[in-house]
Amino acid sequence: MTEHRAGATAPTALPRLVGARVARREDGRFLTGQGSYVDDHRPARLLYAAFLRSPHAHARVVSIAASAALTLPGVAAVLTGEDVARSAKPVRAASKTPAVKVTSFPPLALGKVRHVGEAVVMVAAESRYVAEDAVERILVEYEPIPVVTDMEQALRPESPLLHDEAGTNLLVSREFGRGDVDEALAGAALVVRERFRFHRHTPVCMENRGCLAEYATGSGTLTLRSSAQCPGLVRDVLSDLLDMPEHRIRVIAADVGGGFGAKASLYPEEIATCVMARRLGRPVKWIGDRREDLLATTHAWDEIVEAELGVDRDGAIVGLRAQVTADVGAYSIYPWTAAIEPVQTISFLPGPYRVPTYRGRTRGVATCKAPLGPYRGVGRPPAVFVIEGLMDRAARQLGMDPTEIRLRNFVRDEEFPYKSPSGIVWDRASFTASLLRACEALDYAAVRAEQSRARAEGRWLGVGVASYVELTGIGSAIPVSPGMPIATGTEAATIRFDPAGKVTAVFGIASHGQGLETTLAQIVADEVGVPIDDVRVIHGDTEVSPYGTGTYASRSLVLAGGAAILAGRAVREKMLVIAGHLLEADPADVVMTDGRWAVRGMLDRSVAVREIARAAYTGARRLPTGLEPGLEATRFYDPYYGTASNATHVAVVEVDRETCEVKPLRYVVVEDCGRMVNPLIVDGQVHGGVAQGLGAALLEEVVYDDQGQLLSGTLMDYVVPSACEVPWMEVHHLETPSPVALGGFRGMGEGGTIGAPAAIANAVADALVPLGIEIAELPVTPDRLFRLIERARARG
Amino acid sequence: MKPPKFEYHAPKSLEEALEALGRYGGDAKVLAGGQSLMPLLNFRLARPTALVDLNRIGSLAYIREHNGQIRFGAMTRQRTIEFSPVVAQRLPLLKEATHWVGHLPIRTRGTIGGSIAHADPSAEYPAVLAALEGEVVARGARGERVIRAGDLFQTYLTTSLAPDEILTEVRLPVMPAGAGYALEEFARRHGDFAIIGIAAVVVREGPRCTMARLATAGAGPVPVRLRAAEQILEREGLGEAAIEAAARRATELVTPDADIHASADYRRHLTGVLTKRALTRAIGVARG
Amino acid sequence: MVTVRLNVNGVAHEGRCEPRKLLADFIREDLGLTGTHVGCEHGICGACTIMFNGEAARSCIMLAVQADGAELMTVEGLMRDGKLHPLQEAFREHHALQCGFCTPGMLITALDLLRTNPSPNDREIREGISAVLCRCTGYQGIVNAVRAAAPILVAGR
Repeated sequence: MTEHRAGATAPTALPRLVGARVARREDGRFLTGQGSYVDDHRPARLLYAAFLRSPHAHARVVSIAASAALTLPGVAAVLTGEDVARSAKPVRAASKTPAVKVTSFPPLALGKVRHVGEAVVMVAAESRYVAEDAVERILVEYEPIPVVTDMEQALRPESPLLHDEAGTNLLVSREFGRGDVDEALAGAALVVRERFRFHRHTPVCMENRGCLAEYATGSGTLTLRSSAQCPGLVRDVLSDLLDMPEHRIRVIAADVGGGFGAKASLYPEEIATCVMARRLGRPVKWIGDRREDLLATTHAWDEIVEAELGVDRDGAIVGLRAQVTADVGAYSIYPWTAAIEPVQTISFLPGPYRVPTYRGRTRGVATCKAPLGPYRGVGRPPAVFVIEGLMDRAARQLGMDPTEIRLRNFVRDEEFPYKSPSGIVWDRASFTASLLRACEALDYAAVRAEQSRARAEGRWLGVGVASYVELTGIGSAIPVSPGMPIATGTEAATIRFDPAGKVTAVFGIASHGQGLETTLAQIVADEVGVPIDDVRVIHGDTEVSPYGTGTYASRSLVLAGGAAILAGRAVREKMLVIAGHLLEADPADVVMTDGRWAVRGMLDRSVAVREIARAAYTGARRLPTGLEPGLEATRFYDPYYGTASNATHVAVVEVDRETCEVKPLRYVVVEDCGRMVNPLIVDGQVHGGVAQGLGAALLEEVVYDDQGQLLSGTLMDYVVPSACEVPWMEVHHLETPSPVALGGFRGMGEGGTIGAPAAIANAVADALVPLGIEIAELPVTPDRLFRLIERARARG
Repeated sequence: MKPPKFEYHAPKSLEEALEALGRYGGDAKVLAGGQSLMPLLNFRLARPTALVDLNRIGSLAYIREHNGQIRFGAMTRQRTIEFSPVVAQRLPLLKEATHWVGHLPIRTRGTIGGSIAHADPSAEYPAVLAALEGEVVARGARGERVIRAGDLFQTYLTTSLAPDEILTEVRLPVMPAGAGYALEEFARRHGDFAIIGIAAVVVREGPRCTMARLATAGAGPVPVRLRAAEQILEREGLGEAAIEAAARRATELVTPDADIHASADYRRHLTGVLTKRALTRAIGVARG
Repeated sequence: MVTVRLNVNGVAHEGRCEPRKLLADFIREDLGLTGTHVGCEHGICGACTIMFNGEAARSCIMLAVQADGAELMTVEGLMRDGKLHPLQEAFREHHALQCGFCTPGMLITALDLLRTNPSPNDREIREGISAVLCRCTGYQGIVNAVRAAAPILVAGR
């Protein structure tokens, strides 16, 4: 592993924390029931909110009669879309590119509803029970309009139109390309093609979304506690929508029960709750229930991808052509817009391969369903499902092993940095090494031999490989979502010693399960030379943190970690100066040893950290002339392009010949997230990501009927895997430090979910080679597989 | 998701419970373990005027052996059944089925009477009641009556219990010594309701099958006794061909519905697969 | 309104509420014990699992009034003498939690599993904890933690 620190020599006498399996510092409160989730807060005079939600998928709102609700004892107020419109601007996810149509997303329906579950009226009452009673007493007259739920039908001119202002249901249209792919495919030795279907999913955080708004009329300040991944981003947009200066808005996302991207967007309920609290001058809390979560938290993926891959006789890729169609649902979400999913898919479709010619076209289509938003992997789970599925189809037709065709096409180690056909730069990656290591960990040859024996016995055993690369830690050069006008390329850290020598480190990111309180403390402790117990990390509170947006897009360890390194260095340099002054030595001669700062070669001349800290706050008497008192620094970090992580997943599955159930038998991951701060946490992120990808591949699916009614509206119907459905996972690490990101870190929170659907799909297809079945649709449920197998058997 | 308002009664005796129930003329619901009713209340899909909670009636929780039957007080918890030595010995099929009912924390509260009265056709206990030809006791204002399994289940979530009746006891005949048994179930996730479940009991005498019992979960609006499939075994014995024939026949005896988890065709197919598996396993543990 | 008297984590409590109040809400709002979480209110996710008279049960599908006279233990009652319960220790050591939301229900469920089956194999651990949904860990850390805690609990009896 390469040492990546620059600047002054890091203190070395304390145990190095970066790279160690440090148990998490947040666990103490979670294990004892002392977390601080939104719903744990009950300020005095609190009101509880509930929303009346649309039972129709597409309808005009003719009238709202709320008097029966208002007369119910305990009901404080009722808010309609028109009430909100008088106090807040409509949300419009702007875009700099004409490829994205900008449409309004009112916090409460204005004039019409566009999906079942859309919030129409808000009630605030003395308890949630009463609020729900009141919701039932509100009479809304709807005039149903024809519904469109099929994304391809929605593109037809005669289809019902969701947004008149757009004039079309085609909200996003974009194309990426390199070279003449048509000519390349025409001349290819083999072209494989498929129409892939990756159905709609939803993140299902165990904590439902919720928020608590308090408006202090005396000071004119608004405090919003929200189960948000991006408190900074919410603060910024609320300032605009509510026409309040940012410094009067505080957004707190303390403990958040999972996010996975679902809590990275601005939600209607957050705005409505603020409006209600400001209007009433009382705290208002809305805690979504599971039905609301399944109806109105952003959904994910939901794409049709028609793709063709051309290879030469040796299996080398000559061209890739694809058309992506995404069902983006009823609204374009803030700030990511409806483009985030469909554009990300064509951006990452070429995968870790040398693709000389490429054309990816993408379309985002509005339908009468919940809005599509970011979910772990964003666009890449479908992209990897498609490219890895095509690679396997090509390998099968050429009689090559799936590992061989991949090794032949990977961007080679000497080709980094490599610019992908969609313009993304892979700084340095271990595509080849990760696949080879995965084969070794699995004992690939032995598994193939076992597969042959199993086949001879009539059993359906399959091996599926998926390799991928993901952009992480995106800096200011690239918008996280195309055309997005807001900047998300930086994060900051404030590192502050108190006079007793303890450290507070404050960040604008917001940990919601990733363990950033631990990993960032590890980095800070190493940088300033204190034990980890002397570092307290604060995050998720815009009032106390330097400017930042939050945690999403596998960015926090890269951006906040980089900022921690920069701030830590600045503090350390000052500590050296103060220590030199106290020791009457040249700061260049000061070294750190056994937790003390000493003069090189004269270790008995030393001061403790706390003496340096105290001196820093004592004033001029104890400081070198002209040195500003205090011991803290705030630094911003912008990794500019960002970096990348890669991995290879290998799944071994058996398909039950009779029940058509897919049983994962083994699951191997070899991932490379650069320099690991905490392998324990890296493993945990991989495990959780793979479980979600596996759920996406086998169990989970959001289902609407053709009238836009949600059929998967409970956790019995939307099937999240339990411990019995998730196999043991074998996780191995490569550490190729990022050459471009400080610390050598690469982001890695999403990867597990990116690789797993493809690996499972390929394994199932491999198991069913005797029947000639390809897997083009996920999730591959037992019922779908049953029908595929019946059809194949009927063919003979 | 909070329950709507209701009047609440927690009688200490069955008589008081019947009296309370009678007062509402069908607008009250009986609350047993609550593992199905409480979700329905939380979703506000059930809106009774009143709840009559049986959980304070201690006399409704018991397991007794009587006249070749095991009799369960309606409020006997599934968890109690799971760990009951009498059940393990006399009704091993019920013990096995109990393991498939939700999860242990569900079984802590869930009751045998509640599960049967709720009449979810995907649930395990109704299938066991059907397979073992059990009966239930209903008490109402007009007295007590015994309802056979075959007469109890009407359609989805509907029984022949009158609105003012309370299911007080479940009676299952002791399984013949040495009977083979199995409950095979396929669900998409462990602990979920069955897409298809098959309860099987076989009694063998040498190569002959003197009694076969097969009942389904998830294969239609009520648990289905697969009598014609049973008869194949009772006629032809327990050889592989007979099992195959019975399984095939089973698929013809069910008319399952489709939902988002499984099509009717797939459920029918699974009925055959699981019938075969249940019979094979049951025969494997049968003595005689 | 009804009166509910009960014992939670060894402490007697009394409260008044509507009969329809869910036990989970009563624990959180009336008793202020917010460690018990509410995730689905239809008995599937298990985040609200508590010990009810010594047996794990879902508090989101019970009424508070039904707990009148009962003895409950919530996640707040696991620590003894200021020290983490061995199961809590194992959860920390094996990274069996991330966002922490399912953790209270998971701990109570795992404890109930180990009381009814003190030496479970991995299959039995998975079946036991399948009563609670976790979206973060992929369950691997939890399986490891329960496996590691089992002999410690046996030894501590």
